Amino acid sequence: MQDGYPHRRLQARWLFFYGLSIMSIFASAPEPMSADPVTLRAQVRALVAQACPDNDAVRRANCWAVADAGFSRALGQVGFIGMIWPKAYGGHERPPMERYLVLEELLSAGAPVGAHWIADRQTGPLLLKHGNENQKQRWLPAIARGEAFACIGMSEPGAGSDLASVRTRGTRTPEGWRINGQKLWTSGAHHAHLMIALVRTDPDSQRNAGLSQMLIDMRTPGITVRPVIDLVGQHDFNEVFFDDVLLPPDALIGREGGGWQLVTAELSLERSGPERYLSSFALFVEMLRATGVDAPTEVRALIGRTAAELWTLRQMSWTVAAKLARGEDPALEAAIVKDLGNSFEQALPVAVQALLAVDLASAAPLARVLGRLLQVSPSFSLRGGTREILRGIIARGLGLR
Amino acid sequence: MSDRTTTSELHAMLAETTAQVIARTRGDFASDWALITEAGLDRLMLTEAEGGFGGGWPEAALVLRLAGASALALPLGEVMLARRLAAQAGFDDARLPLIGASAAGRLSADGLFTGTLPSVPWGRHASHVLAVCDGRLMQLDCASARIVWGENPAGEPRDTLHCDRAPAETAPAIALFANGALLRVLQAVGALTAARDLSVSYVNTRQQFGRALANFQAVQQLLSQFAVEVAAVEAAASGAVAAAALGDAGFEIAAAKLRTNLAIGLCTAAAHQVHGAIGFTADYALHPLTRRLWSWRSEFGHDGHWADQLASWSLSHGAEGFWPVLAARGDSVAAQY
Repeated sequence: MQDGYPHRRLQARWLFFYGLSIMSIFASAPEPMSADPVTLRAQVRALVAQACPDNDAVRRANCWAVADAGFSRALGQVGFIGMIWPKAYGGHERPPMERYLVLEELLSAGAPVGAHWIADRQTGPLLLKHGNENQKQRWLPAIARGEAFACIGMSEPGAGSDLASVRTRGTRTPEGWRINGQKLWTSGAHHAHLMIALVRTDPDSQRNAGLSQMLIDMRTPGITVRPVIDLVGQHDFNEVFFDDVLLPPDALIGREGGGWQLVTAELSLERSGPERYLSSFALFVEMLRATGVDAPTEVRALIGRTAAELWTLRQMSWTVAAKLARGEDPALEAAIVKDLGNSFEQALPVAVQALLAVDLASAAPLARVLGRLLQVSPSFSLRGGTREILRGIIARGLGLR
Repeated sequence: MSDRTTTSELHAMLAETTAQVIARTRGDFASDWALITEAGLDRLMLTEAEGGFGGGWPEAALVLRLAGASALALPLGEVMLARRLAAQAGFDDARLPLIGASAAGRLSADGLFTGTLPSVPWGRHASHVLAVCDGRLMQLDCASARIVWGENPAGEPRDTLHCDRAPAETAPAIALFANGALLRVLQAVGALTAARDLSVSYVNTRQQFGRALANFQAVQQLLSQFAVEVAAVEAAASGAVAAAALGDAGFEIAAAKLRTNLAIGLCTAAAHQVHGAIGFTADYALHPLTRRLWSWRSEFGHDGHWADQLASWSLSHGAEGFWPVLAARGDSVAAQY
């Protein structure tokens, strides 16, 4: 054989370190649970079956954008919100991987978790870590009961992917803070009780300096919430106006001018969860239901490929959850999970449409869930960080910028 | 191996040994293979009682990733696996056992095989070949086999063995094909990682239009996709290895091989795209990786094969059963830690 490729003559030492360095950042090293996973899964499934009988296929799709305050209260009552928070703040002090298990069961069953999702995923953990005692006492127990819902005040008319262009002003007053400005694309603001908003507290600052995070009670006078109806006619987005909104001094979260660090610290929580690859899972379920074992080869190939992608993404998302549980900040891994997960959940509706003869006007569950996902799935790679932004982060992680 | 520190020390020693062996290979089969056997790497997956290191799939994964990353042209994984399967079946310890992905022919009741073993990796060097025929695992003595040399696109020997009443030891059939697929997945992790790192280092160095290629957004986006695919393969390989350590890893290996196959398409294209013409030259280190990846995609199950297996699995569990079974398999793997 014509061997003796140049790189084969690498130094042993280099190869040794290379061998250790390619130990994967996605190697599974699971975190412990104390509960029996079989029992815990059965508990979640029974709850969903009881609380959402005859859950429609369209509602099961992208279900973390489907708000149902009653269902969130039911979850709160059995201790499935704030699962890992301290008991002193209404939490349940359970191992993080048990929370992950509950989340993936809720999402795979298509449960309407939208009302409390952001509060449980982001707002609560942020307050726990950086909030003052008053904020924590005031909000965390209510969030954990499934009674207080949150929204995220980041995007603005002039600040989308370019979040550092935030212009909403927070001005110190003798009594606290005065907020003026506008947020846009604020999901769930119309049923949220609180918002954590990124505002510019230093008027002379540029870019990501001089920004602060504020906790805002949505009942505060001067706040106007207006719906922005989406392309399928649904109300999820809002624009939120702040007109001389007066906040107490302790509305500030963390350090004045330290808002950017808090925002970026949330990203790992925001980007790696099972919601980043399960948004189209209801379509796969309906495809399995509608397909016989005698299906054409191409359809079988799509089913097989989807199973492989789902399993792989679950491995990745689970691995990142374990890193978060160990106190690491796997921001790069989270960006990778979100990018791949979004691409997968966007590609599935298109692939199903291409292969199966579906009358999109019919009332069949497969047709309706496909019709819905074809329309809403373009948003999957926009919300929570666009594909282009994520790939920029990954490029930096590769050492390219 | 409950002590994590000890395990990681063992892994570091294993990586060091493997790296030293690979660095000393020169492209001559006899002398290169002697380096492997002197270091005992071919016996990695045998128990200490069987004269091995007592290594499992996690240790094999470490060695095979290194082999893949350095485009090692030796049947290390194949022999490692053949020895383990032979020992488990109670076969004799052969001089150089290899594995065949398939066997076309007949295995008589008294253990004589007549037929063909196509594309056996390094079959020309085999003393024995393990393959599954007529529902049984056989360790076939190939002394009398007529061997037709062949090679895959990477230039690795893939030889066809024609046998007429060749003697074989036999045992109940096992999932040899799936085990072979896991070998290719683990090698591919290494090769994909090395191709990614080669590409990153190239675009950081190569200047066009007055700046490094790495500064162009189009290049960054392509390499990000590349890296995401490699991450997916790492996760899939890691999951399959964890499941294989438990025993029943049929689903996980199927999913991991298919996911790896899919990644090979995008990653090899991206690697060559960012390298431009230099990546096409015989002297440059990219093609030993990409040509192997293209070959491995077809070996031990192309995309269609594993997709069809996974479709049967998915449809048999159905709309209501798919998720519970997927989750339960994950739980049982997680429980072993």
